[in-house]
Amino acid sequence: MIDESRLFPVNLVWTGGKSGSLSVEGKPVIKSGSPTGNPEEARYHTPEDLFVASATICYMDGFLNFLEKMHINSNSFECNAIGVLEKVGRSFEITKIEMKAKVVIESEDLRSKIERALELAAKYCFVGNSMKCPITHETEVIVE
Amino acid sequence: MVIVMSEESHEYQVKVDWTHDRVGTLSVEGKPRIQISAPPEFDGPEGIISPEDLFVAAATSCFMTTFITFTKKMRIEFKSFSCDGYGTLERVEKGFQFTKLLLKAKVTVESEELVPKAERAMELAGKYCLVSNSMKCPTEHENNVVVG
Repeated sequence: MIDESRLFPVNLVWTGGKSGSLSVEGKPVIKSGSPTGNPEEARYHTPEDLFVASATICYMDGFLNFLEKMHINSNSFECNAIGVLEKVGRSFEITKIEMKAKVVIESEDLRSKIERALELAAKYCFVGNSMKCPITHETEVIVE
Repeated sequence: MVIVMSEESHEYQVKVDWTHDRVGTLSVEGKPRIQISAPPEFDGPEGIISPEDLFVAAATSCFMTTFITFTKKMRIEFKSFSCDGYGTLERVEKGFQFTKLLLKAKVTVESEELVPKAERAMELAGKYCLVSNSMKCPTEHENNVVVG
């Protein structure tokens, strides 16, 4: 856990069209950009993809963290998220992110604890809390 | 300058699946999957892309694509673009939050007369970067245009 503050550096180098290579030291490179008609570029992650992904992954990390604190387990976690980009004033903004999470657990006894972990994960998702837009969380807990 | 953009709204869909420990897979339709995890600061393993990385990456990439859009509108060429993005995560009242984003961009142009135009495109890109505009924290820009 970090105490006060931590810097997260990334490096981006333009590679042509509207695309570039994103690097974080010691991690795999991500090709990112906006498609301009080139089929290869269509496979690159757009800035909007990365933005929505960052909140979604942070939610997962938070959930895993609360599971550990509460000494409980889940069999699976998956989350679909949709970010909506809309015109706000003269420019665009992501105005809403809707998340739908699905968790599979082993027994009914765990349900209330898992729901609590999901609730806390949403509340303390610091990437989500760093965004202006509201984030909604629909959750489904299944016993299998 | 008139900014011509479409009025409609767009949706971006992503999926995250937990695989093991603090690690999962990020899927966006039609794009390569990315392995993701919590960063080492939050008990994740080394060497895997974290949500914090992607948050900073989103703003950095958006600044670049917006800069390119403006260079096209202004009909100017540039030879290279690179940008270092730094996001500062700090403890605030309710847990952690990104409190600052710093983007240090460097652009190379062919001649001296393109320098002020490229600087203007960078300034507009900073103003209209939709990802930065969707974040609570302020974004600082250090723009550097060189002839080379």
